[in-house]
Amino acid sequence: MKEEFKIAWRNLWRNRRRTLITSASVFFAVFFAVIMRSYQLGSYDHMINNFIESFTGSLQVQHEKYQDNPLLDYSFDYTDSTEAAILGVEDVVSVTPHLESFTLVSSGTLTKGVAVIAIDPVREKNFSDPETKLVKYRITEDAVKGLNDSGTVPEDVLEKVKGNLGRAYSSLARLELELDLDNDDGERFIPEILKWTEVPNGYLAQDDDGILVSDRLASYLKVGVGDSVILMGQGYHGVSANGIFPVRGIIKMPSPDIDNKLIIMTIPAAQKFFDAEGKITSLVVNLTDQSNRLIKTAKSRINLLLKDKSITARTWYELNPILYQQIQGDSQSGVAMLGILYFIIFFGIFGTVLMMVSERKREFGVLVAIGMQRNKLKRIVTTEMMLLGAIGLVFGLLASVPLIMYFHYFPIILKGDLANMMEDWGWDAVMPTAWFGPYFYWQAVVVGLMVVLATIYPLRKIGRLKEIEALKG
Amino acid sequence: MKVLELTHVNKIYNSTEVKVHAVNEVTLDFMEAEFTCIVGPSGSGKTTLLNLIGGLDMPTSGEIVIGGTNLSKLKSSQLIDFRLNNIGFVFQSYNLIPVLTSLENVEFILLLQKKTKAERQQRAIELLTQVGLGDKLHKRPGELSGGEQQRVAVARALASRPRFILADEPTANLDTKSTENLLEIMEKLNHEESMTFIFSTHDARVVNKAHRVITIEDGGVKSDLVQQPH
Repeated sequence: MKEEFKIAWRNLWRNRRRTLITSASVFFAVFFAVIMRSYQLGSYDHMINNFIESFTGSLQVQHEKYQDNPLLDYSFDYTDSTEAAILGVEDVVSVTPHLESFTLVSSGTLTKGVAVIAIDPVREKNFSDPETKLVKYRITEDAVKGLNDSGTVPEDVLEKVKGNLGRAYSSLARLELELDLDNDDGERFIPEILKWTEVPNGYLAQDDDGILVSDRLASYLKVGVGDSVILMGQGYHGVSANGIFPVRGIIKMPSPDIDNKLIIMTIPAAQKFFDAEGKITSLVVNLTDQSNRLIKTAKSRINLLLKDKSITARTWYELNPILYQQIQGDSQSGVAMLGILYFIIFFGIFGTVLMMVSERKREFGVLVAIGMQRNKLKRIVTTEMMLLGAIGLVFGLLASVPLIMYFHYFPIILKGDLANMMEDWGWDAVMPTAWFGPYFYWQAVVVGLMVVLATIYPLRKIGRLKEIEALKG
Repeated sequence: MKVLELTHVNKIYNSTEVKVHAVNEVTLDFMEAEFTCIVGPSGSGKTTLLNLIGGLDMPTSGEIVIGGTNLSKLKSSQLIDFRLNNIGFVFQSYNLIPVLTSLENVEFILLLQKKTKAERQQRAIELLTQVGLGDKLHKRPGELSGGEQQRVAVARALASRPRFILADEPTANLDTKSTENLLEIMEKLNHEESMTFIFSTHDARVVNKAHRVITIEDGGVKSDLVQQPH
């Protein structure tokens, strides 16, 4: 076996350049496949986590008909005992009540259909934490003009500020990133920029009768903190729901689609508005991690606890089948792309095999003629092919490791037009890589399969080898 | 003692429109320690006869018996093992394994015979020293001259202690000096190890060294002469 390996290894380097080229093709295929897949899966994880953390949670307890008919009529009574029982389930981190519905919002002559989410402002901090999404900085025309008139920032810095006109930020870090100032300029001019861009904002008190409005919706309605809007809709069991609500704060949601149509208020205010005393539409359950296995286990355990059988637990992907299917579809297209990449690389490997067999036909004949069994020769050729694939595979995987690790902890945050475009599609403009998982190890399986397929040809040739013909060359 | 017997051996190729009778009713015996040369014009059937003797090809009819074993009765894998243990091959274009050193090339046959590392090394060094390559044990074929490569091929052929060695035009690619050198070595091995050599050749120098010269024409034996080597 050792001798077979030695001969296979040396055969590999008989045509050094060809081996290097073939290994390089496997290397690049593996490297790009791993990186592409890691970014793809990382983006999905990020998107799912965003969605779970901002909206659905890992699971929601709802009336069984609420999923298909999200009406307040399918709300249920909120009791502390249900909540306490769910909190006792293994891996459950938090349970947060929500009362959700749809209504019309109006300001002046502008009206729009919106989603209303009623929360407990304190307990919600354990879940979606809207307070962290409050808009703190906004680059308005007034802010740009003020900066320009003050003459405190140079022209190039002002241009960068103008480049982000109309954008709002929930954190200083994001503002700094978007402005893309170097360290010196950042230290010198950020305080000045903040003076003009900082906006007043506020959060909800426990029994507040005001609301938070999402940023894009606020822009559409042309309202700000301190203004009021009118909500009109249908309440519990068809009652008419109307009210005027002061805007306490503006929040920026990561998903542009949601940012266009969200109003947050307190549960008591919503119960009063919708005439749904003591009712909620869902209990949002968060788990220690978002693996499908854990979510499924928690779902069945919670369902066992629920005494009212019209109330049921649903997973995030049951609640958002479209998002789930979009991800699945996109993932499949990513796999198809990788398939094409590997298909092309396969022919590179196969080309090498064809040349190798053609060049060494005579040698194979000699080896069998002098007494080498065909099976031994097959083992040597197979080892040679495996080594050829393994070199590219190992180096491809090794090269991808530091990149995956780095971009997992320090994801690419997209800026400018590309970021805007992604946000318009409803995607958060952040690209983290996925941590090592089956996608990483599967590359070895794929390369192994390619090599096995490519090896079939020389093995058949050796099996059918006629010494006389082979010796003629 | 007979090492090889051919009885009414025929080889007919049917693959072309016209049947080719490459070997025609050949009956020959070869004795131990013979130094035999098979000569004949191109296309006379020398190489086909050697291939049949070496078990690389099967006769259309007739029998080839080596040490009591009829080659036609062996399965493909048995034939490969039989060749490994009974026949040494020296090819016109050396056909060494290019990625192995001289020592490893000779050892390789012994490896196939599952000899221990110590046995392999001892035998390979002994043979390579006998063919005058004791100082080139670790050179690869690409680093050796044609004559040297052919000497390694002879050492490899001898390594398995075969019943006889078949050499198909072994000097065809060698210059005069290398040819003489190789013939000297083979004569020496023939005497010292009582090894049977069967050559096919066009080379008069090889023919002159042979004890027996078989002439083939149109696939049949035209003459079979014993001579005094000169």
